[in-house]
Amino acid sequence: MFDYYLRLALRRCRQNLPMVLLLMLTMAVGIASCMTAMTIFRALSGAALPGVSPYLYVATMDAREALDKDDPHYTKPDSLLKLSDAKALVDAHRAALQVALSQSLTQFGTTDGRKSTQAYGLIAYGPALQTLGVPLRYGRAWTAAEQASGAPVVVIDTHVAHKLFGKDNVVGRSVTLGKRSFRVIGVYAPWKPRLQIFNLGQNAGSSLGQDENFFVPAQASLDAGVGPFSSGECGKGGDTPMISFQTAAVARCRWIEAWVRLDTPAAVAAYRQFLSSYANAQHDAGRFVYPPHAQLYGTQAWMALHHVMPDDVNLNLMLAGGFLLLCLVNVAGLLAARFLRRQSDVAIRRALGASKRDVFVQHLVETGLLGLAGGVLALPLTWLGLWIVRMQPVSYARAAHFSPGVFVLLFVLSVAVGLLVGILPAWRVCRLPPALQIKIA
Amino acid sequence: MRHIIKPLFRHRMMPLLVVLQVALACAIACNALFLLQQKLVPIVTPDGVGHPARLIVASRIVPRGAPWSTSRLYETEQALHAIPGVTSVSVAASLPMEDNVRVGGQVFGQGAGTKANAAVYIGDHLVDTLGLQLVAGRDFSAAEQATRYKNIGVSNSGPTIITQALARRLFPDGHVLGRVIRIGDIPDAGRRTVVGVVAHLMRNVMSQDDRSDIDYSMMFPGIPGHWAMPSFGVRVTHAAMAPAVLKAVKTTIQQALGSDIVVGIEPNYQRYAELRDAMLARPRAAVWLLSGVSLIVLLVTVVGVMGLTGYWVQQRMRQIGIRRALGAQRSHILHDVQLENLLVVGTGILLGMALAYAVNLWLMHHYELSRLPWTYLPYGALLMLLLGQLAVLSPALRAARVPPVVATRSV
Repeated sequence: MFDYYLRLALRRCRQNLPMVLLLMLTMAVGIASCMTAMTIFRALSGAALPGVSPYLYVATMDAREALDKDDPHYTKPDSLLKLSDAKALVDAHRAALQVALSQSLTQFGTTDGRKSTQAYGLIAYGPALQTLGVPLRYGRAWTAAEQASGAPVVVIDTHVAHKLFGKDNVVGRSVTLGKRSFRVIGVYAPWKPRLQIFNLGQNAGSSLGQDENFFVPAQASLDAGVGPFSSGECGKGGDTPMISFQTAAVARCRWIEAWVRLDTPAAVAAYRQFLSSYANAQHDAGRFVYPPHAQLYGTQAWMALHHVMPDDVNLNLMLAGGFLLLCLVNVAGLLAARFLRRQSDVAIRRALGASKRDVFVQHLVETGLLGLAGGVLALPLTWLGLWIVRMQPVSYARAAHFSPGVFVLLFVLSVAVGLLVGILPAWRVCRLPPALQIKIA
Repeated sequence: MRHIIKPLFRHRMMPLLVVLQVALACAIACNALFLLQQKLVPIVTPDGVGHPARLIVASRIVPRGAPWSTSRLYETEQALHAIPGVTSVSVAASLPMEDNVRVGGQVFGQGAGTKANAAVYIGDHLVDTLGLQLVAGRDFSAAEQATRYKNIGVSNSGPTIITQALARRLFPDGHVLGRVIRIGDIPDAGRRTVVGVVAHLMRNVMSQDDRSDIDYSMMFPGIPGHWAMPSFGVRVTHAAMAPAVLKAVKTTIQQALGSDIVVGIEPNYQRYAELRDAMLARPRAAVWLLSGVSLIVLLVTVVGVMGLTGYWVQQRMRQIGIRRALGAQRSHILHDVQLENLLVVGTGILLGMALAYAVNLWLMHHYELSRLPWTYLPYGALLMLLLGQLAVLSPALRAARVPPVVATRSV
């Protein structure tokens, strides 16, 4: 029966080809715009570190130690801490895992000075690899003793290893970092958060995460003269700079973020309590001059606060959704007109014994077919849309790629769209009693 | 009128679909056009910079560790000035179309009780270097330009030159020169006396959605102190010399500051015209996208209304034939179909306006967009009505051509 309906549908489509093409095109344009917006939305939403980031929280507090008359209001939560505060939070061990992190960019070299490469990475205090879930391929992470003693050890990714030594497993080799030589104790495969989550206060504008090529313990890094990449807030007054870049003289600066991993809501509440009491104690002791407003932000909330997904992306998705809706109404209307014009065919079929259900199914097969055809047409259009997005000067341009998931979604969507728009017209056609339909005919 | 309204209620589906379609199109188009207008603001607003091809901008010159000392920036400025073909050089905290750093905030017109959010440009020869058009008062004096601030300089007192737009906003009574602007609302905030007014100077905040204050800028003389991200503006005598000077600027800055520049951030040397082009690329792209969407939305609607009305007319061939046989003229039929379309589309528009407003309210709440100005609504309505009439024209003409004999034909 189904293939009979299919043949019927094909025959009827051939009868008025321009109209059918118009329907298909309308559907395709609606679906393609929606798919383009959805692809980008999907690339920029969800977990930054799947499986890990839903449990990651960043600690924020107003840790300024001097009155600042140019900037007295605390309008945006600030995650920058002095190393001493970050150390205190990490060493308190009140969370399952905790680490203090700061983005860095530096030159890596072989000890003979023959090869060197620039690398982004993280300066860390605490078990960084475990907290972020970075899987090691060779070697190990640094120990608490190594961290405490400021031992010059570093964990790098295979990218840096290849650049410097031409192979993956370089555990035990030495690299130059800043003014000192560091021993490589671990190597991991290239790793990055899907979306930007670290140093968001200063990374405004970038949405996609970047490769983190190395992890280095904070003390050893500073001792070697390798500091944070982005600006630290160093306080004002006298001849001291307020903002500085890539300096290792950060003793008086707020430059590092404390991240904790908390698995249950109860743990979150308890940590919030702890954080608040820590910050308040510092305020009461006179160190933090402003009320500290200590807060704990989940990764998702933190990203939302800093607009990691640009508002444009959301707006475009809504625009595309509205547009698809308009196309659906449009196609439904045109289909209704098309079906009702052929009421006489239906009347004859009904008189010959076809049930309402048969008529209904027959029309749904026809619209489903149209939907599928629209989906096929939407495929190149979506590809075109994504290509246009990639040409744009936006931070997420390279996320605009066609993926197999999108492909499946597109076809499901187009058939669903086809059936959805067909329901109303098909129902209209089979509603009239056969006698009346023959009379009309 | 009754013979037009009654059938609409008898066969509800067709008119309802048209109403729904028009309402949706209206809501989408209104909001898309509003967003488009917002994106257009920085593109069409004059930035105040004269002869953009003659201005060279060196930016993102970031020091490693401690910021450059003021004297070193001053020496660099002198070295740049010595390049042949250069007429004016300015070290600045930031420059228009360069949004790495934004200085600004709430300012208050002393004695006028007014306030505004304004951008602050700090630099020592900004009027000459940017080629701004002074419309009242004077440029900073040589003594004022020699100011060296201990801190950045935002909270210091001294002279200022502001834009006409900001002057109008802060001092609505028209007396501007000699008036005082307070920087921030704390008691010991800096106070700046207005010594000059320029026609335009665009602020370097590009992403803001409330664009009414895009021309609210003020300038302070001097070199910002302890400034970690200085920019240099260099003006040349002829546009033709710009490429050669650009090269010289690059080498001069490399020689003067290169040894302390941060690893990983490449300084940016560009002609202002190109910088402006690059900065406006994003809003321009958005304008293309939004105008494309609006156009397609309207096109789809026209096609939809046309198709539905075509069927609606065809279905009533006999009635039309009877009316013609009873003496109705072609123009009657034509006008009836047009009037009917006007009613249906009008209903859709009313619904669509409400929907557009609701969507805008929701967007305002979630995305800090500004309110949809009500002036959009009548324009949108008029546009949709015109499009509706356009869409109905061909079916209406077809209806009018129905010969009276159709009435007598048995189907």
